[in-house]
Amino acid sequence: MVKVKVFATLRNIVGKNELEVQADTVGELLEKLYSEYPEMKKELEKGAVILVNGKNIEHLEKLDTKLKDGDVVSIFPPVGGG
Amino acid sequence: MFGYIGKILRVNLTTGEIKTEELKEEDAKNFIGGRGLATKILLEEIDPKIDPFSPENKLIFATGPLTGTTAPTGGRYMVVTKSPLTGFIASSNSGGFFGPELKAAGYDFLIIEGKADHPVYISIKDDDVEIKDASHLWGKRVSETTDKLLEEFGDKKARVACIGPAGEKLVRFASIMNDKHRAAGRSGVGAVMGSKNLKAVVVRGTKKVEVADKEKFMSVVKEKIKKIKENPITGGGLPNYGTAVLVNIINENGLYPTNNFQTGVFPYAYEQSGEALAAKYLVRNQACFACPIGCGRVTYHPAVGVTEGPEYESIWAFGADCGINDLASIVIANHLCDELGLDTISTGTTIAAAMELYEKGIIKQEELGDAPPLRFGNTETLHYYIEKIAKREGFGDKLAEGSYRLAESYGHPEYSMSVKKQELPAYDPRGAEGHGINYATSNRGGCHVRGYMISPEILGVPVKLDPHDVSEEKAKWVKIFQDLTAVIDSAGLCLFTSFALGAEDYADLLNAATGFDFTADEWLKAGERVWNIERIFNLKAGLIPEKDDTLPKRFLEEPMPEGPNKGHVVRLHELLPKYYKARGWDEKGYPTEEKLKELGLDKYY
Ligand code: SF4
Repeated sequence: MVKVKVFATLRNIVGKNELEVQADTVGELLEKLYSEYPEMKKELEKGAVILVNGKNIEHLEKLDTKLKDGDVVSIFPPVGGG
Repeated sequence: MFGYIGKILRVNLTTGEIKTEELKEEDAKNFIGGRGLATKILLEEIDPKIDPFSPENKLIFATGPLTGTTAPTGGRYMVVTKSPLTGFIASSNSGGFFGPELKAAGYDFLIIEGKADHPVYISIKDDDVEIKDASHLWGKRVSETTDKLLEEFGDKKARVACIGPAGEKLVRFASIMNDKHRAAGRSGVGAVMGSKNLKAVVVRGTKKVEVADKEKFMSVVKEKIKKIKENPITGGGLPNYGTAVLVNIINENGLYPTNNFQTGVFPYAYEQSGEALAAKYLVRNQACFACPIGCGRVTYHPAVGVTEGPEYESIWAFGADCGINDLASIVIANHLCDELGLDTISTGTTIAAAMELYEKGIIKQEELGDAPPLRFGNTETLHYYIEKIAKREGFGDKLAEGSYRLAESYGHPEYSMSVKKQELPAYDPRGAEGHGINYATSNRGGCHVRGYMISPEILGVPVKLDPHDVSEEKAKWVKIFQDLTAVIDSAGLCLFTSFALGAEDYADLLNAATGFDFTADEWLKAGERVWNIERIFNLKAGLIPEKDDTLPKRFLEEPMPEGPNKGHVVRLHELLPKYYKARGWDEKGYPTEEKLKELGLDKYY
């Protein structure tokens, strides 16, 4: 199982801060989440930051990034500030 | 001139002379306004080597051509002076409503010279400008000062920029506060104001800013507002959660500095996040003048009543950096700083440095006497020393000098997390190399808003750059971000628009307002000119690139101990030469003659 942490507006959609999902890649994980929470897909359409163990998947294998038991995936809608 | 009023107000506090001058169109075209043009004026009018607290230093309140217009976020102004914290250029940006009011009174710039022989304030009612006695306000906090002045002034629509007790006491990181809670926060601009015995500027104006092509301007503004509203950051994240929406993402990425930057992961980050602030203390969001974003937080806590903030940086400075997780204590600390007129970043980071010095046994309890121990995580300590700093009482007197002078006085400058003696903000550069270069080269010292590389390196906007990459491409991006920021600051807009707008958009707005016909590249070039004239000011003030364009030893030698960036140090020696090259400077970091000629700055250096 992979631990998934969600933030900002995603928390209202999911109704909690953390959940556990079984998936072998980030792409597969997102498919599972989207089918359970269709609103999440809409929220992330304009961009998202997805980290696996704190590392951005953009600089790993993107959606093909492999997941293993115990990995932590953090998902953010687009955020900014300063 | 359009966009500009075309007028500078000059007040000499030594002689009492008040006069107005024309703003030259050529200067406006070259330096835009605000940050850029004020630096040019300062460089021409003072010797950059002077003591920042001497009457020879000048304090410039500077608006841009878009300040006071309906351009989205057109409410910003800058305070430019020589900094008593860094000894280099200070230019602090603030929002709220003060800047537009100054312009409505008929002035693009207010230049303050000399030093009054007793506490005074400057009162501006359109053409009617007076220097008035402020003895009864000396020692008063920001909200009381503001309320009293508004009463005296007799017009509740007036706007006040003032210092608190910290500025009066020449705390090296004292802020200037306008509209009570908006800060021209950094580099000690409030201390320069205090050194001039100037408590406040009160202004009320009834004029309108004229733009070149009204219809065109209106349609451009409409289009840009639409872009801002449709952008998920400026239309969603920022209004909903404020800047503190960053707490979690920066922490999850492993660069949320904790315990004076000893690590980049804070286990309690969630408790002080924007989400937590919204759930616990938020009353509503609030916008500065003409701002469609509204990232401001109106908050309530029983200990302080209705207040504003805290922003991301302040949450971090009093939170993770001091090892504190309790959000209520952070809200109170932030409110105290607003009231006392202290920069939250430098205040928190200086206390954090003192905490590390204490825990390492370098500052001893005997020296503190009965005062609370400087331990990480101690909230009482935090509030106690904030008050003491502002009044320069007890150990607060040492803290009031800033973290660098404090740590150096114990022979350990390496515990000051600062660049050019100014405290660093809320991102550990071991997790973002480009941001590290930006810290090392920022003209005002440790600062995140001189080229916010966190945006491409961590947030993925407008491009996704690998935070650990140190290529030439990275160096070029740093330059672009720095130059673009310089344009935005000079134009009178808020940097947060840049999450949604690009160089073309700013060019559209500026052209429609001023009637100039600049391409996006030409506006960026103006930003580069601003960057270089600041660099010239600093070099003339005594900056030595080899020694000053660097980072605290911790980032260069101590690998990050845990989290996603575990094992990383900043590869400054690899990226810095590439940055100098991207800037067209020589390998030692000095602008080349060729570059200065290209920018029309060769006569200055
Ligand atoms: S985005 Fe925030 S800081 Fe910027 S002008 Fe708007 S309210 Fe003020």
